[in-house]
Amino acid sequence: MASTFQRRLIDALGTDVARIEPADLAAYGYDAYKEDGNASAAIVPRDVREVATAVRIARECDEPVIPRGAGTGLCGGAVPVKGGLVISFARMNRLLALDVRNRRARVQPGLINLELSSAIARYGVFYAPDPSSQKISTIGGNVGTNAGGPHCLSYGTTTNHVLGLQYVDAAGRIHTTALDDVGYDVTGLLVGSEGTLGLITEIEVRLMRLPEAVRVYVAAFADVESASEAVSAIIGAGIVPVALEIMDKLITQAVEAHYHAGFPADAGAVLLVETAGPLDDMDDAERIIAGIAREHGALSWRAARDAAERAALWAARKGAAGAIGRIAPNYYIQDACVPRTKLPAVMKAVEGIARHYQLPVGNVFHAGDGNLHPLMIFDRREPRQVQAVIDAGNEILQTCIDMGGTISGEHGIGYEKRKTLSLVFSVADLAAMARVRDVFDPMRALNPDKIFPTGAVCGEVKASTAA
Amino acid sequence: MIVSTPYALGNRAPARVEEPADAPRLAGTLAAAAESGSAVVIFGGSTLQSIGNAPQRYDVAISLRKLDRVLQYDPRELTIGLQAGITLEGVARALAQARQFIPFDAPLPRRATVGGTLAAGWAGPRRAAYGHLRDLLIGSTVALTDGSLVNAGGMVVKNVTGYDMSRLYVGSLGTLGAIVRANFKTLPRPPRQRLAIAPLADEIRERTLTALETLAIEPAAALVVDGFFERVPRLRDEDARLLVLFEGSGAVIDRATRELRSALGKCGIAETLLFDETAAADVLQNTIDAYIEPLEDRSVTYRSTGLPQTVWQRALAVCGIASDCDARFDFIADIRTGDAIVRVAGTSGARTAALLGELDAGVRAAVPGLTVLAGDPALRAQIDAWGTPPSTMETLRAIKTRFDPTASLAPGRYVGGL
Repeated sequence: MASTFQRRLIDALGTDVARIEPADLAAYGYDAYKEDGNASAAIVPRDVREVATAVRIARECDEPVIPRGAGTGLCGGAVPVKGGLVISFARMNRLLALDVRNRRARVQPGLINLELSSAIARYGVFYAPDPSSQKISTIGGNVGTNAGGPHCLSYGTTTNHVLGLQYVDAAGRIHTTALDDVGYDVTGLLVGSEGTLGLITEIEVRLMRLPEAVRVYVAAFADVESASEAVSAIIGAGIVPVALEIMDKLITQAVEAHYHAGFPADAGAVLLVETAGPLDDMDDAERIIAGIAREHGALSWRAARDAAERAALWAARKGAAGAIGRIAPNYYIQDACVPRTKLPAVMKAVEGIARHYQLPVGNVFHAGDGNLHPLMIFDRREPRQVQAVIDAGNEILQTCIDMGGTISGEHGIGYEKRKTLSLVFSVADLAAMARVRDVFDPMRALNPDKIFPTGAVCGEVKASTAA
Repeated sequence: MIVSTPYALGNRAPARVEEPADAPRLAGTLAAAAESGSAVVIFGGSTLQSIGNAPQRYDVAISLRKLDRVLQYDPRELTIGLQAGITLEGVARALAQARQFIPFDAPLPRRATVGGTLAAGWAGPRRAAYGHLRDLLIGSTVALTDGSLVNAGGMVVKNVTGYDMSRLYVGSLGTLGAIVRANFKTLPRPPRQRLAIAPLADEIRERTLTALETLAIEPAAALVVDGFFERVPRLRDEDARLLVLFEGSGAVIDRATRELRSALGKCGIAETLLFDETAAADVLQNTIDAYIEPLEDRSVTYRSTGLPQTVWQRALAVCGIASDCDARFDFIADIRTGDAIVRVAGTSGARTAALLGELDAGVRAAVPGLTVLAGDPALRAQIDAWGTPPSTMETLRAIKTRFDPTASLAPGRYVGGL
């Protein structure tokens, strides 16, 4: 029997928008993280007014609200762990306006990342943030986690490309913000807030002009450490290509078995380099980068012949996690970031940790940014292996923190790392974040139990009594 | 009466000036002020204190000049950790050895500080090429009025660990806390710099600016300067000069120059002056200094941000109203970022004071979102720096209340009287 909450949603929005059947709700209970939840109801709104209506009903019925893009998040950010209303933005997926001369576009949150760049390429512009999930993940979800991607090395992460937002607040009111507005940077606060400050319903994005020339190179190394040394040396020499990616042998072999993109599958590690810019600089850049790579033990160096081969290499690189999925019963991908000179040391430490826990580990990561993604293979039917993955993951995070790094470079905190957050931030640091949350969501109705450890509330109480 | 001490703002001077030697003492000073109900203004190099309204109350000035060190810098990381009181020139010097830079592009870099530049939300002309300062800011430490020192971000270049709090303090004009430390991404310095200046007559302006959009090599900055002759030299009889900056390798600069000259030639501009390396940097810096340069005691400078394609419309709207009010004007139109800077002045301070009411009402109505950037303190006191509050005002007020519940930080300075 339908609950009052469910009935009110159906009455206000109809059964096409509001979903209450258990079979439908099951589809909104999970994302790409291991935790599942149970939504009390879900809506698939067609416009912002339907979002606002549903949020007001949820508030009156005391149900939390969980926004959802494509469900590709790796940290449980879209999982309704305490029930509540899931809002799927799948139908709000349009490119609303394109302004090529001013280099901006206005999009709905459900628009798939890659579809934007594909739709506008003929105007000579592109949208830079390119998470590996870009074929399926949405721009709204990318904004929620401040998503990165291989090309962030040169172009910056999602927050550097968001110029304004429309959002629905916890009370169901609609607001707009823009970087050009006077006043505190509300736009910047919302980006990366993982749905805890507002529900993003429109995004104004910055576009960039397509570069005149693009080159992609593949270098083979004996091991991940030497490839990492080469990356640190390239950055240290003051050269910032648009992408510097590493895959180890396990990943490369899985990727090659599936994609046949032409990566050297027998290499201990593969370095993928992309340079872009004026044609005049391309040859010099190759000479310098290839030289540094050879100095650091590159066994081979090869340029992609043409756009088709470049695209094939990138498709394979971005499909790495999926390719592992084909050969492993289960895998767990970690996300952490260290200062770039620490990369060789951290890769060595990761190898040691994996060996200690007897877990096969693959590494596929944004080396130029110091952003690592150890991918541990396990069988979730084996409780001992599950525990080993959890312990090894925590040990890797602690190692990164000890090296001056942090616990998430681009995937977000979500449900998974909310307890780990206090390893990075003090009670006072978290209390400052809680002040912001108090402004937007004092009732903690927006995506509760995400980002913040439960102790943060105590910190907040302490902070306000001190003031 | 206008009080003139280095720490005077509007017609108020502080009862005392504090110069804390470290972050904990700074936090302690903020907490003590908040507790005693004193009003505090935080000072860097005092170059951009002209932004915003003068504070309604003002008891203590806190100078960060003793917090002026580079805290962490390994050039191989392309990141740097800085105390907020270090000058922009000091940062440039630290980075120069490793051929790196941060495009602050703010006025008076020998005095201006990192903390002040961030707090002012300064956005310079090269941001279209290199990003806004807030996009290069990867971490911060801020002293709050409860005496706590809070960190956000870190020393890594990619970080989604918790809210991006650092961005909240950028542009907050010291109304939420005092920035103590700022961590930045640094950029490799382009090997060469060239700045081209050409006269730009009104009749060919539109055609020329359209031609610039199609250059294969995008300029690092492109500005039109009309007036400001004390900072940017006059060319021929034209008031307006086009400034185009290219940065990159020798090959790129040479090609960019050829293509620029060819494009300008087709628009009827035969004459282009070229400045290379430090000379180019000097012209750019002089132009940036002009943004806040007052004309004696008789000017007010407005700033408008918006779409690059509307920069002329906005700049000319302000200039037109100034003319109607019998004021003279100088302006800078940044055709890559969309910033318009217009300085208006009467024939004397008294004359400006007399016409400013009408002028201000006119320009506010014509160009929404206009703010006051600089000018004579007595004149600025006549008008509100911010104009109509934005639609987010309720949220801004709530943020201010959470971070500064007793309104001890520059009360009244910010948007909507915060």
